[in-house]
Amino acid sequence: MNDHSLRKFYGWFTALGLLVGVLVVMGYYRDEYREWKDYQKKYIQEEIHRAATPQQKAQAERIALQIRQVQLPDLKRVDRCTTCHLTVDDPSYGGYPQPLAYHPLHEQHPFEKFGCTVCHRGQGRATTTADAHGNVAHWDEPMLPMEYIQASCGQCHEAADNPSAPELARGQQLFEDSGCRGCHKLGGTGGVLGPELDRVGARRSPEWLRKHFLAPASVTPGSAMPPQKFSQTNLEAIVLFMLSQTGEATPGYYASMKVLPNTREGQRLFQQKGCIGCHSVAGQGGKIGPALDDVGMRRTPEWMVQHFRDPQSVTPGTVMPKFGFTEVEARALADFLVHLREQSVALSLPSLMGPVERGHQVFKKYGCAGCHGQDAKGGVPNPNAKTAELVPDLLHVADGYTKDELKARVLKGQKEITALDTKRPPPPLYMPGWAGTIKDAEVDDLVAYLFSLKPKGEDVGF
Amino acid sequence: MKTPWLRQIWDRFARTRVGRSIFRVGLPQSNLEKSQAMVSSFLLHVQPAKVHKHALKASYSLGLGLISLYLFFILIGTGVLLMFYYVPSTEKAYDIMKDLQFVVSAGLVVRNMHRWAAHLMVLFVFLHMCRVFYTGAYKRPREFNWFIGVMLFLLTLGLSFTGYLLPWDQLAFWAITVGTNIAGYAPVIGPKIKFLMLGGNIVGQESLTRFYALHVIVLPAMALLGISVHLFRVRKDGGLSRPDESGDVVEQIPLGQLPTNKSYGLMELARGTTPQVGKNPEDEVFSWPHLVFREILLFLLVVAVVLFLAVFWNAPLEEFANPIHPPNPAKAPWYFLGLQELVSYSAFWGGVVVPGLIVTALVALPYIDRKRHGVGRWFASERVVANTIFSVCLVVAVVLTIIGTSFRGPNWGWVVPWHQSPAITEGH
Repeated sequence: MNDHSLRKFYGWFTALGLLVGVLVVMGYYRDEYREWKDYQKKYIQEEIHRAATPQQKAQAERIALQIRQVQLPDLKRVDRCTTCHLTVDDPSYGGYPQPLAYHPLHEQHPFEKFGCTVCHRGQGRATTTADAHGNVAHWDEPMLPMEYIQASCGQCHEAADNPSAPELARGQQLFEDSGCRGCHKLGGTGGVLGPELDRVGARRSPEWLRKHFLAPASVTPGSAMPPQKFSQTNLEAIVLFMLSQTGEATPGYYASMKVLPNTREGQRLFQQKGCIGCHSVAGQGGKIGPALDDVGMRRTPEWMVQHFRDPQSVTPGTVMPKFGFTEVEARALADFLVHLREQSVALSLPSLMGPVERGHQVFKKYGCAGCHGQDAKGGVPNPNAKTAELVPDLLHVADGYTKDELKARVLKGQKEITALDTKRPPPPLYMPGWAGTIKDAEVDDLVAYLFSLKPKGEDVGF
Repeated sequence: MKTPWLRQIWDRFARTRVGRSIFRVGLPQSNLEKSQAMVSSFLLHVQPAKVHKHALKASYSLGLGLISLYLFFILIGTGVLLMFYYVPSTEKAYDIMKDLQFVVSAGLVVRNMHRWAAHLMVLFVFLHMCRVFYTGAYKRPREFNWFIGVMLFLLTLGLSFTGYLLPWDQLAFWAITVGTNIAGYAPVIGPKIKFLMLGGNIVGQESLTRFYALHVIVLPAMALLGISVHLFRVRKDGGLSRPDESGDVVEQIPLGQLPTNKSYGLMELARGTTPQVGKNPEDEVFSWPHLVFREILLFLLVVAVVLFLAVFWNAPLEEFANPIHPPNPAKAPWYFLGLQELVSYSAFWGGVVVPGLIVTALVALPYIDRKRHGVGRWFASERVVANTIFSVCLVVAVVLTIIGTSFRGPNWGWVVPWHQSPAITEGH
């Protein structure tokens, strides 16, 4: 083994050294070539093309190729979408094809405060189209298709009565009316037969949800949920509402915008703050303050808002305390009071309802209709249940139970449903115990409602 | 004969004032200079001036130990770069992985290199151990160096395992959950060990902090120390094992019994004999350039392979860690999947007995198998019993690992990797 036998090493050194060099260059190229640079170059060309004066042209030429991002620490996001979508806030790019399109109607949600992904979803940190739009493996939140964009309003704002998101409001109405809560918990209220829905919008795709509503067992084998007979538009609305339930906590500034000032929220506040202790509506309530039935005709909303802010400033000497309402709350309350003269609004105050009406509300609130049908008329299939393979209607409970027995039955539930045929699988739906969920006063009202269902003219005897 | 151009450049530089100040001896020409080149260079003096020809045979060592060392160097280099960005916080770690991918210059390539080099290091340290076994190189006087080697293998696994958690994605979270669960199966102390590792009962911020400290300081420092001792002993034990070395093993005379009628050099005290005893100078060549060139070549090759992997394949990164949504199946890192497969039959056997036996057997091996035959040859016929036992264990371990990796699907049921597995639908 002499030194000449080492000559071949020089050849190998050269070859491997070159190979390492080539790989380093390839690594560098891979790192240096980024999709977004193409888009930025296109943008700069467009700016140069548009330049009217030499100064403007020089300015356009100086635009740097760089990552652009919106940092949103409160929302735990960094949105780099504007790295490619450079002109979202430039109206002169209205009608341009993506990625250089203008984003209209962003005044209420300025980009520097909201970024993009909080509404559109996708992957804000990513800087390639596929990754950013989120259609890649291991990313849970692909971009929300535009037809479902209203779902995003529901992440921060209460869905109902949001004038900008009518489909979302309709979806929520459907959710409540169809009795979904009978089996599913949402926001802490609901039954236990199905899974909680608080994060369903972050976990499921629109396609999955559509299939799920039409044929639950097709996407969740063994599901006890009965297929839902929604019309096409209703189906889209309820899918939309489901998509809005992402369970994402919206902190600080964003949370203060949860409630848009609206009648329903005003009514909630009206009840919660105990206004009825001093004021009266339809003759019910306190006498310390004036009756409010026609307050909407006497006062303007602006006056009311100022009144809530500081009662002394508009009514010197009044005993009404400062409640410390937020601006949004004050506007919601004013909205409610303005509409109070319309009887429908006034009558929906629980204090003005009788036990039967309140019980009906309870029936709706806990989604009893999900199994027992609209107005407890029955009809929801429960395969292999002895009661004609249906969940029983509740029209005749007054015949079989005393009020106390019925109350106990609602609270305790019935886990074992008698099967029609013991050889077949047991009925999937059962009556959960509602003790701990439903309030005591609510059960009393519910029982009153159920007793009221017995059709008139039917006699107990024969 | 024409001098290769690369060497011409080198020659010219080494002769300059700057070159000489760095390399001291210039490019060695004479045998004296070749020795000086080794002795006067900090980086090279770790190695002897002359090595046995047998140690250079690629077909003998396959360079596996050196490859492992190079991978370790690459891991330190890329690891330090990653540390410039990484924050061991459950809130930030995952976002930083995304930033490395999308906005940090060369971030993704460096992370890829680190990831692939880590997997390769586990593989090559293991292969190195197999080579040492099949050539009987763990026998006297190298018994304790084998022990250090076993410890280094465990450290390598520890380094890889602790690094696994750092990206804080689903893969990391659940692999560490499963891996630490296996440790928790040990009786009495198992749950305590698990708690100590995780800093709690489940993987959380405390676990991440601990794993990070272990990954970037404790374990690398231990590995560096272990590697130093390992290499030191390789040299003190006469370089790489070889077939005909039995002649130069001389019983060390205990220090107290050295004849006192002469003075001793340091080397004599250290080994109880003079260094050249039993060595045939004709079998040796100068380390410069015969050893050093081969080492450089291998280094280039390792760097090229790691770079190649890093440029073309991205390190995995799954969804953000979600403690309430386990993937099905949740799998430990691949090198623990053999154990996980055993655990699926019996937690006690797979989690305690088998790994305990493996480590005990490896450590005890040189003290059980003491006959000095068959050293320095692959698959020596004299060692047929030992080789057969080891091979059977090896095949079982590899088969179990392959089963755990590729043939286990949802609920740890059988799947065949070449058939598309049925869509996994979460039950309610």
